[in-house]
Amino acid sequence: MMVLWQSFVELVHELMPWYDGSIATILIILIKAIALVMPLMLVVAYFTYAERKVIGYMQLRIGPNRVGPKGWLQPIADALKLMTKEIIFPTKANIYLFLLAPILAIAPAIAVWAVIPFDEGIYVANLDISLLYVLAIGSIGVYGIILAGWASNSKYPLLGALRSASLLVSYEIVIGFALVTVVMIAGSVNLNDIVMAQKGGILHWYWIPLFPMMIIFFISALVETNRAPFDVVEGESEIVGGTHVEYSGMTFAVFFLAEYANMILMAVLAVIMFFGGWHSPFEGIPFMESMFAWVPGIIWLLAKTTFFMFLYLWIRATFPRFRYDQIMRLSWKVFLPWTIAWIFVVALMTQLKIGPWF
Amino acid sequence: MTFDQILFYVFSFWFIASSLAMIFSRNAAKAVLFLILSFFSAASIWILLEAEFLAITLILVYVGAVMVLFLFVIKMLNIDKSTLRAKFAGYLPLGLLVAAIIIAEMTLVLGGNQFGLDVIAAPARHAADYSNITVLAMQLYTTYIYPFELAAVLLLIAIIAAITLVHRNESTRKKQSISEQVSVQAKDRMRLVSIASPKKENK
Amino acid sequence: MIDNIKKLVKDFSLSELRGGMKITAKELINKKITVQYPEEKTPISPRFRGLHALRRYPNGEERCIACKLCEAVCPANAITIESEMRDDGTRRTTQYDIDLFKCIFCGFCEEACPVDAIVETQIFEYAFVGSRDGNDNTKGQFGSIITKDQLLEVGDKNEKMITQTKLEDAKYK
Repeated sequence: MMVLWQSFVELVHELMPWYDGSIATILIILIKAIALVMPLMLVVAYFTYAERKVIGYMQLRIGPNRVGPKGWLQPIADALKLMTKEIIFPTKANIYLFLLAPILAIAPAIAVWAVIPFDEGIYVANLDISLLYVLAIGSIGVYGIILAGWASNSKYPLLGALRSASLLVSYEIVIGFALVTVVMIAGSVNLNDIVMAQKGGILHWYWIPLFPMMIIFFISALVETNRAPFDVVEGESEIVGGTHVEYSGMTFAVFFLAEYANMILMAVLAVIMFFGGWHSPFEGIPFMESMFAWVPGIIWLLAKTTFFMFLYLWIRATFPRFRYDQIMRLSWKVFLPWTIAWIFVVALMTQLKIGPWF
Repeated sequence: MTFDQILFYVFSFWFIASSLAMIFSRNAAKAVLFLILSFFSAASIWILLEAEFLAITLILVYVGAVMVLFLFVIKMLNIDKSTLRAKFAGYLPLGLLVAAIIIAEMTLVLGGNQFGLDVIAAPARHAADYSNITVLAMQLYTTYIYPFELAAVLLLIAIIAAITLVHRNESTRKKQSISEQVSVQAKDRMRLVSIASPKKENK
Repeated sequence: MIDNIKKLVKDFSLSELRGGMKITAKELINKKITVQYPEEKTPISPRFRGLHALRRYPNGEERCIACKLCEAVCPANAITIESEMRDDGTRRTTQYDIDLFKCIFCGFCEEACPVDAIVETQIFEYAFVGSRDGNDNTKGQFGSIITKDQLLEVGDKNEKMITQTKLEDAKYK
């Protein structure tokens, strides 16, 4: 083992003579990245299964139950099917951009996860500006959809891409303003610091003073991730499948992965911003605190995230699709004024030092 | 060569290469994509210079919003290349003159003799806990508060001007009122009338 | 004024959205009504009109007398009949084809038949194999045009079921 390690170190120095840092650093970064991405992909796979099950149950069906016990192997079967399917290129498509689009969709969707703190000290990178990083890298994901629509050289993808471009630009502003209120209270754009500022039980989390912002953020997150009832970008009944129309096999699967990774990210972000991240809800309650002291923070984070992920499915099973211009109106004429007004409310609350949050 | 320098040269190379590709690419959509790549390279170089807030803002504002709108517009336009080329030839002498003047000015102002380690010392490296955003905010909201506010007001005026320009002839346009549609209730559209049922006659 | 305030409160408390989500949440825990098809099946009415069959008398003689009433009544012109005189002087069909793509399963042929020869059974799980005429008679497979032999075979195999369902339905006729 040691010999192997030594030879590996020598090889790395041979290949990169300019690199004077420790080899362990590179390895640790690599392991961290793999430890993050692998479970993420698995969660994405089983999130699709959960989606089909939950929506099935809400429609009085039982959902997939054939592959493996209770259908547990369904996502694996789906993945295998998509991997072995042929990738079809439209004749007049721009092949390079056509293939670049799914990569541009998935890369930001995974890169964003680098700064998400899962527990005290558990993260890939502790950026000082991690919230801005999340917003910036998250906003790049739209290029995947726009390029997919443009490179396909087909009318429905183009319509989907146009819708997506205008929707994402509108709702990024709303999300940005909604999160500004959080930043105002926490006094930091570091996700770690934002979570630490919410220490002290369920009443100290920001969802109480920022309740309207929480709702606006979550609805905007639905739009950003093209989820029902705002899934006009795909809009099966209107524009067939939007940007996905010309994609098949693995290229389509990559879009799918990106979309679901983004959904989970938005759920985690909602938890970190408004629901105290990894903190236990029972902190500060005399008896309960000691009773739940053994639960690690990451479990709390995942439990809260699961609730928001369930909410995505619940909403999808409940509401019919919005019309495109109604979504635009919701952003510019309802959400944006509300967020800007609430910034002033929060400023006032900060000055008056109301409650345990400020 | 340190790792930083390697990164700097890589990013600089991509910056220059993608900028040139942006200028010389025939396809407008591809030009925008190369412009995005050059923004990214610029942002990466800024991060190397410990200006991470500016770098992220560049990506957030330009890549995340402005360039999306550019692509949006390019998709809507049907650019006729032949007329463009004819105009290009006509404006070529003037363009070359302007380019020459700009290059001359830039060499005078930004030339190598203005910079370099002997003219301006390299900025000191900051400690790991140095927060670029805090320093920037302190500067913006204390020393430069008036210019900052003025810029904000200017932007606000620009927004209002843009909206006013678009919203002329408001009364003559036919359009849907979405807020009316959304707030409609059953009793606005439907009237339930109880009509006396006719008597049953000869069985 | 009061209405407007009521509406505002209703809008901002998202009461309609919550109402909708309450319904779906209730259905989430309700009993599921899925019928797991290959293992479970829904009950079929005795009047169900499925695959056709030609019946025989108990002594093995085929019922059909080639009166061509079914051919005449068929609204989709799906039935083709050719007939000849047999050695014993009776008229029998030499060809009795039903084009199952044309057939609309209206059951008129069954109604028209004076000898209850052509019937529609409760069979609905069948597939067309090969070309129009079917290829492999030995396996009970048929193409989109089902021939006389195949119809008789279906009848022979399912005579018990046919008698049973006809008996059940008889009292309502």
